[in-house]
Amino acid sequence: MKSIAVETIESDQWLTRNELLKQAGAQLLALTAFRGNRLEIHWLLPDGNVTAGALNWNGSGFPSLSPYLPEVAWDEREIHDLFGYVPKGHPDLRPLIRTPRWPAGFYPLNDDSRLRPIWVDMEPDNPAKTVEGDGVTIMKVGPTHAGVIESGHFVFSIMGENILHLDLHLFQNHRGVEKSLEGLSTEEVPPLVTRICGADTVSHQTNWAMAVEQLAGHQAPETRCWERIVLLESERVLSHLNDLAQIPAGVGFQVAHQRALAMKEQWQRGLLTLFGHRLLFDTVRPGWSAKGDSDSFLALVRAMMRDWHPWRSMVEGHHGFHDRMNGVGLVRRDDAERFGAVGVAARATGLAFDARTLMPLYQNVSVKPVTGGAGDVAARFKVRLQEVEDSWRILQAALDHLREASDGPPWTPPQDLAGETVSYSESPHGLNVHVVALEEGRIRRYHVRPATFRNWPLVALATAGNAVGDFPLINKSFELCYSCSDR
Amino acid sequence: MHRQAKSLQLRHLDAGSCNGCEQELTALTSRYYDMQQFGLDLVASPRHADALVVTGPVTDTMKEPLRKTWNAVPRPKRLVAFGDCAAGCGVFQEAYASHGGVAAAFEAPDLVIPGCPPQPADVLKQIRRLQTGDEKPSAPNP
Repeated sequence: MKSIAVETIESDQWLTRNELLKQAGAQLLALTAFRGNRLEIHWLLPDGNVTAGALNWNGSGFPSLSPYLPEVAWDEREIHDLFGYVPKGHPDLRPLIRTPRWPAGFYPLNDDSRLRPIWVDMEPDNPAKTVEGDGVTIMKVGPTHAGVIESGHFVFSIMGENILHLDLHLFQNHRGVEKSLEGLSTEEVPPLVTRICGADTVSHQTNWAMAVEQLAGHQAPETRCWERIVLLESERVLSHLNDLAQIPAGVGFQVAHQRALAMKEQWQRGLLTLFGHRLLFDTVRPGWSAKGDSDSFLALVRAMMRDWHPWRSMVEGHHGFHDRMNGVGLVRRDDAERFGAVGVAARATGLAFDARTLMPLYQNVSVKPVTGGAGDVAARFKVRLQEVEDSWRILQAALDHLREASDGPPWTPPQDLAGETVSYSESPHGLNVHVVALEEGRIRRYHVRPATFRNWPLVALATAGNAVGDFPLINKSFELCYSCSDR
Repeated sequence: MHRQAKSLQLRHLDAGSCNGCEQELTALTSRYYDMQQFGLDLVASPRHADALVVTGPVTDTMKEPLRKTWNAVPRPKRLVAFGDCAAGCGVFQEAYASHGGVAAAFEAPDLVIPGCPPQPADVLKQIRRLQTGDEKPSAPNP
C-alpha cells in the first residue's frame, strides 16, 4: 500500500516552508484539516512530484497562511467553519459556509456523530462586506436567480452603473458531501463522488479511482488509461460547449447561443448512446471505466466538426460580439498567480498551467496548454474554442489506440485498503484535487478541492470596476459551478 | 398541427442540486426540444410563474428561500420536484445539511420527475401532464 509521505513541519516553519514552495512555482493542491488538530498541505511541484507537509498543534488554533498566501484564505475559513480550528492572524474570518442557522458548537467534520443538527430558526444570511459613502448603493442578488442557474448570493456595492465591490456569499448548495463520504466502503463511494458536480463529474470519478489504485499499488492497464482519457476529454468538450453557448447568451447573441446549445445536445445524445449517460455519470470507478465503440465515436466527432467549423467562423468574425467581450471582466496575470487561479481562467491570463501536462495518465499524450493573453471575457472564450479542438484531436488519437488495445484482467480494490493519498486531474474548470484517507477499506477523511473553489475569489476581483449590467457576462465567462465548490 | 390549450410558465429554484438537473432543464430551451412550442417557458420571477420547479435535496440554507419563492407564486400553482434529489431518493438525502427532498423539507409536490438527472424528452412529457390536468390537484393554500 502506497501512501504519500507526509513530513511533519514545526509551526514556526509552517509559513516559510509554504511560501518557499509558492515562490519555487509549485501549485497548491489542497490544504486539508483532520480531526485531532492536524493540517496537511499538498503541493504539486513543477516536475510533477507531490510534496506534503503536516502541522499539528495544541490549543485552539494554528498560524494562518492567508496574509502571505491569499489563495488559502477561503480554505482556512472553511476549516474554521467545519472543524472549529482557528487560523490565527487570518485577515477575514467571517463565516464562509456556516450560516446563523447553524447551532453553536456544531462542527460537522470534527465530530464522529452523523446526526443532523437542530437548526436555529433564523434567516441564513451572513453579514456582508460593503463599501460605505455618499452615492453608494448596495444591490443584493440571489440566492435565487432569474434564469436556470445554481443558487448563490451576490452583494454588490455600486455607484451609478459601476461596481465598486462584489462580496460573494456562496455555499447555498452545501449538502455535507465530505461528511457523507466518511465511513463508506470503497464500493459505496462512486455514486456519491459522481454527483459532487454535474459538470466535472468524470474528473471527480477519475480522482477517486486513481486514489484507490495508487493506495493499492495497482497500475491501471493501458486500455483503462485510454478509456479514461476519452471520458475526461468528452467531458471537457461537453462542458466547454455549454460555456461557449452561455457566453453569447450573456450578450443576447441568440444565434450563436442556440447553435452551440444544439451542438451540446448532439454531443450529449452521442454520449448517451456510447456510454449510457448524457452527462457521463457513473462511468469511472477503481479498476473500471465505461467503454464506447471507437468507430461510432469517431463518426460522432466528425459529425460535430461539420457544425463546429461554420459556428466558430461565425463567432470569431462577429465584431459586435467581440466588442462586448474585449476588456470586460479582466483578471491580471499577477493576480491569477497570487490567488493560485487554475483552468481556463488562469490560462486566459497567459499562465501556462494545465494539470494534464503533469498527470501520469496523460504521459503518452501531447498536451500544450492553450494560453489566451488578455485575461478578459474574450480571452476565456478563445481559450475554450481552442481547447475543444485540441480535445477532439486527443480523442481521435485515444480512440485509435483503444481499437487495438486489449482489456487487462479485472481488478477490484482489496477489502482492507488503508493509507492516505492525493489525486488530481484537469477538470473542464481546472485543477481538481481529492485528498483521501482510508482505514480498513473505509473512508476516514475525504477532502475535495475543486477548481471552482480556487477561482471564485477571482470572479469578485474581475467584477470590480465593470458595469453592473456586465456581471452576467463576466460570471458566464468563468461559468464556475457552485455545487463543486459548495459540496 | 397540434393545438395548445394552456400555457404553463415555470420558475426554477436550485435547492442544492449538482448542476446536472439545471443542464437538462436548460436543454429544453434548445431547438431539439423547443419547449415554447408547447406553451411552456422558464420565467424570471416567481410572480410570473404557474409552477415552481425545484432541484436538489433542499439544503438548509435554501429552505427559507424556497418557502419565500413558493409564497411569491400566485395561485393556482403547482410544485414540481425535479430529479432524484428533489424527489427524496438522491444520494445526498442523508447528508447533514440536506433536508432529504421537497416533500420532507417543505410540502408534497404535485409532480415528481425522477431521474439522475431526468432526460429532457421525459421531462417534457411529464411537465405537460400539468397542462392536461393529469396529475393530482394542488392542495388549496390556507
